[in-house]
Amino acid sequence: MQRRDFLHRSLKAALGGVAATSMLGNLRLVEAATRAGTPRGDGNYRALVCVFLYGGNDSVNTVVPRDSIARSAYAASRGTLVLPTSALLPLTPVAGGTPASDGCAYGLQSAITPSDPVGTTPLRDLFDSGRMAIVTNVGTLIRPTTKLQYQSPGHPLPPQLFSHDDQAVYWQTSRPDDSLGWGGRIADLLHDTNTNTKLPMTMTVGGENLLQRGAIVSQYALNPDPQGAMAIRDVENAWNANRRAAFLALMSSGAQTHALERGYARSMNRAVDHYAMVADALSGGAPLATPFPASRLGAQLKMVARLIAVRQALGMQRQIFFVSAGGYDTHDTQLVDHPLLLADLARSLAAFYAATQELAVSESVTTFTASDFGRTLSSNGDGSDHGWGGHHFVLGGSVRGGSFYGRMPDLTGGGPDDAGWGQIIPSTSVDQYAATLARWFGVPASGILDIVPNVANFPTPDLGFLA
Amino acid sequence: MRRYRRLVCRFGALALVIGSHAVLAQNSLSRWPDTMFHDGLEALDTGPRSDADAARFLAQTTFGATAADIQHLRDIGYRAWFDEQLAEPMTREVDYLNWVASIPEPVYQNARVEAWWLGALGGPDPAIPTRIHRDQLRQRVAFALSEIFVISKVNGAVSGQTRSAAHYYDRLATHAFGNFRTLLEDVTLHPAMGHYLSMFKNRKPDLAANIRPDENYAREILQLFSIGLVELNADGTPRLLAGQPIPTYNQTTVRGFAHVFTGWNWKNCYQGNDWDWQYCEPGPNGSYWLEPLEPVESLHDTQGPEVDGNGQRYKQLLNYPGVTLAGGRLPAGGNARSNLAAALDNIFRHPNVGPFMARALIQRLVTSNPSPAYVARVSAVFDNNGSGVRGDLAAVVRAIVFDVEARMGPYSHAETFGKVREPLLRLAHLRRAMAARAQIGRFQDWNPEFDYGQAPLASPSVFNFFKPDYSPPGELSTRGLLAPELQIHTESQITAQTNALGSQIFWGYLGQTYAEPNSILIDSMRDATLAANPAALVDRYNLLLLSGQMSPWMRAHLIAYLESITSDTPNHLRQRVHEALYLIVNSPEYAVQK
Repeated sequence: MQRRDFLHRSLKAALGGVAATSMLGNLRLVEAATRAGTPRGDGNYRALVCVFLYGGNDSVNTVVPRDSIARSAYAASRGTLVLPTSALLPLTPVAGGTPASDGCAYGLQSAITPSDPVGTTPLRDLFDSGRMAIVTNVGTLIRPTTKLQYQSPGHPLPPQLFSHDDQAVYWQTSRPDDSLGWGGRIADLLHDTNTNTKLPMTMTVGGENLLQRGAIVSQYALNPDPQGAMAIRDVENAWNANRRAAFLALMSSGAQTHALERGYARSMNRAVDHYAMVADALSGGAPLATPFPASRLGAQLKMVARLIAVRQALGMQRQIFFVSAGGYDTHDTQLVDHPLLLADLARSLAAFYAATQELAVSESVTTFTASDFGRTLSSNGDGSDHGWGGHHFVLGGSVRGGSFYGRMPDLTGGGPDDAGWGQIIPSTSVDQYAATLARWFGVPASGILDIVPNVANFPTPDLGFLA
Repeated sequence: MRRYRRLVCRFGALALVIGSHAVLAQNSLSRWPDTMFHDGLEALDTGPRSDADAARFLAQTTFGATAADIQHLRDIGYRAWFDEQLAEPMTREVDYLNWVASIPEPVYQNARVEAWWLGALGGPDPAIPTRIHRDQLRQRVAFALSEIFVISKVNGAVSGQTRSAAHYYDRLATHAFGNFRTLLEDVTLHPAMGHYLSMFKNRKPDLAANIRPDENYAREILQLFSIGLVELNADGTPRLLAGQPIPTYNQTTVRGFAHVFTGWNWKNCYQGNDWDWQYCEPGPNGSYWLEPLEPVESLHDTQGPEVDGNGQRYKQLLNYPGVTLAGGRLPAGGNARSNLAAALDNIFRHPNVGPFMARALIQRLVTSNPSPAYVARVSAVFDNNGSGVRGDLAAVVRAIVFDVEARMGPYSHAETFGKVREPLLRLAHLRRAMAARAQIGRFQDWNPEFDYGQAPLASPSVFNFFKPDYSPPGELSTRGLLAPELQIHTESQITAQTNALGSQIFWGYLGQTYAEPNSILIDSMRDATLAANPAALVDRYNLLLLSGQMSPWMRAHLIAYLESITSDTPNHLRQRVHEALYLIVNSPEYAVQK
């Protein structure tokens, strides 16, 4: 039996509520394989943090050519959206680091405005200090794809390219034939390595998402800082114990005859059960000294940092977090809106990294960005449209930062990397990006294909940006 | 096999009497919904035969049953009620905003949300107390449409234009019983939508500057407002080719439509140069925010991005069997209006629109998992209302609510029929059932999205608060059952909803010492007398909130709990009312509208 089939059947068995002993045996093997790796940072703790930029970040105006042929291609193709080099913060690779593959110099959009003299400086500083890497032109792919192949009927492509919802889904699942996310599949494989198996190792502060959807492990949703987990107030106190009993009896397993009612009760029961665990742990955590921006993204990442701070109380050795920011669908007024988004992103990411340093877990926590897609090279007058490949940030103490990974695309309109309307054909697949993260997280080489099977179609499953 | 004994055979003469209230130990009581008598012979739009039937119908067609509405529906019957609703004067949010401005008060999004509450909860107009709002069906359908044709105050351009957003909502309400084609055009040319999906000031290409038309509206009108991503059978199931769904359009189609949607600007914009195009203004006091966009021909692309074998330019639109434009190609020529009309006709005639819209509206009003046959019946009415008219939405709504599945679903699909109630609609229902008002006559509940994850025109993105194909992990997805509303019932959200409903019930009642003149208060004392008899109280809420479908087990459970609360004083009796409401509105049995 193929390993993948085995795992699939085991997951199905677990789903059906059957005690899958063979599954557990398998997970023990995984655990052994995991523990064999050299622990870094805080014992064996590791966390992945996905920062999803909903709407499709214009990464061509995020990491921007500063000189040479790349600059002239950029200047020619971006029409009204061209950023002057004075609006860029130079990205200087660290000593021994890898410059952009085209040999050109790049800069981060500074997002500095009269009202914001800092802009994205904190993020650029993380690159320059080697804590942040840039993975170039990542996107949804099934196989490596050239322009000729893209134009050829029959070449396998992810469904519904350039559509928000579908591409955000593909980024999070990275296969067309499964409704589970790659974070969820990792959790299904590794959740048993946590001391506390009652509390999901996948937690979202950025809304329900597919990335963390697993067959066994279901994501747990919390509020951004300061709330975190909230009590169901009117059934919480000793004085309403009778009401609580009456309330919970209505939710109790077996009380509902209707499938949708069971779905509703499941959510309520999880809210009640997990609250007790998480609120206790959070209330025992020391306050973070690191300041976070007051934005929604900042508040989400602060909650993640607070949860990481109490990982031992929660019994967590492996965790996957999800946070999100919206507004990246810059069809309109992009030159005004995009800098605000990037400045918030930079501040929030830098604050989060600083918090992991404060907690002495910076080497145990890797944060990465994801987005629906990049955007078109061509302008629509004052904005850009839905594209495909895009550049992404990975940061943390285990990141081999200050380097560019992957091939820089040719930004020539109608050029070899332009799918035809300014959408850049990705040269690195989401599968490779995910596999690199998964390997660092502790998924054994033999398990990677269970997480992102299509990675087998690409030259390497490890892009090398993590130690 | 207790679930099968409640099957009602519509075409047979089987008579079934279900629901025993025999005195049994609580745990042996049925946990299945209590059901009512049907002989299976009645026509679907005759009746209702019982208060419970009436309440169930009102759960699908209004913002929730009230005792008065149940009585009225029983008095005049389904058909007359439906016709009455079609004719009921419409609640206009813009009228409300005009009144707010005249007080005078500044008009912000808050005022628009007040106007929405007035339409949803109904009752006297604070401006003209003799005017009673009761256009419940229209407002419920408008709310459903607002979750399909999404604009949102979350968007910066929309948030600053309260009157335009209200006007947009009024257009949805206007067309709730109108024609889909007109609705589609009104939506397309509305300045609020124009700003939300950036069709406003979308200009023809300037290839030298590498400027191409904005694809935003082109993509979403196809994906979300009309036909969806894949070809559908008339019953809403995807058509398959070699086992795979067939895309309805591709990137060439998107750019074809993007070129069509060029050249639209404010009303009365000068037909002049680029400067005018860029800087013409939305009229005196921004009044053109309430007027359809108008074309500036010089910025409209009459050519198209594609070139055919004869060197002729065209725009690739939708291609489908029976398409009017040969090959779905819109040839070069025409003007902004004629090309827009051709493109909207091209969408409107696509065979997907019927099943797509039928399924979307059924999901908002009746059930998350309609059978293909149900979708097909409604879709057929979309295609032809019986008088040869395509897209008659009043006929579509009628077909949805009087379908055999809508009326008999709890019997034929006892374990899956229905939908999780939308959190905002649970609050609206509670307020209607309990005659909630504020002393000042206004509904200043401005940000229900904070607790309920929903507010009118406040979706986080054009993909609505939840997606129509969402299925939570576990049993539901394993069984292939959809539950869109559960996407906004995550642990943190369900907690917030439960707490907010608790606040309304335990703190927001008439007679509360700390209430402010603008607090919206439920009239719980109304039912205090009933509360002396917990069984009577539970039966009352079973009718108003659960349409009489509460299981005997839940009923006994609630009665036992309420009897444990002392009934010594009116305040204690009121406490029983609050306890009953809290447990019911947060219960799984109530959470699913069946």
